[in-house]
Amino acid sequence: MNSKALTRAATVSIALIAAATIGSELSAAFKQLLSSIGGHHWIGKSVLSVVVFGLLYLVFSKISDRRFTLKDTGLLIGTVIISGLAILGFYIMHA
Amino acid sequence: MVNPLIFIHAICAELGLFAFLWVLVEMLNPTETRIARAQMAATFGFAFLIFAWLVGGFYYVEIYGLHIKPIIKASDAKWVHSIVMEVKEHVFLFLPILATLTAALLYKYDEELLENRDARLSIVLLAGLIFVLGFSIAGMGALISSGYRFALMAGLA
Repeated sequence: MNSKALTRAATVSIALIAAATIGSELSAAFKQLLSSIGGHHWIGKSVLSVVVFGLLYLVFSKISDRRFTLKDTGLLIGTVIISGLAILGFYIMHA
Repeated sequence: MVNPLIFIHAICAELGLFAFLWVLVEMLNPTETRIARAQMAATFGFAFLIFAWLVGGFYYVEIYGLHIKPIIKASDAKWVHSIVMEVKEHVFLFLPILATLTAALLYKYDEELLENRDARLSIVLLAGLIFVLGFSIAGMGALISSGYRFALMAGLA
């Protein structure tokens, strides 16, 4: 298992979940596309998050795992905080 | 009466979150035995969060969306759905990814965690993040239940 690749896949997947969440509220066509995956846009996002996480791991698995550092984890935690705040901020502004 | 699926969803999610708190505690001062316990806790935590995801997802799509959401949205507490539920349902999607990563790091580094400070601290930080994020989401769940009760008391059902 490549821990650097898995951490980066997690970072990008979480940022993409936030982007897909906001994007689906701004574009009815995109929301419809997500709904077509599983009958509901939230199921679409759920399925997509798993698939994207797996695919990104395969893409990043080519990078070297020799030196896994706290910097990788810090970037992930920062992405979680920013993505969470972006989702919260978006729904507060659009409520 | 409270739907049993909500009860199962909440219990499984909270068991999963406490399992990751357990991981955090074991990793503060690891030994070979504590690493083995942390791996077991992370496996259970991951499984509980996935089960909570499936049960909560079924409830959200099949019951909440059809019966609860319209009542909340028709009340003065409609922000409970349009802000709190929207944030909860989407931020929850971060948890299975973080739980997968944390469990995978525990198994990958195994006894190397005794020496590898960066990997150990990463697990501590990620387990703490899962716990804090998860209980923020649990708090949102409590707020949504209150919003529904408020709507019921206002005579909207």
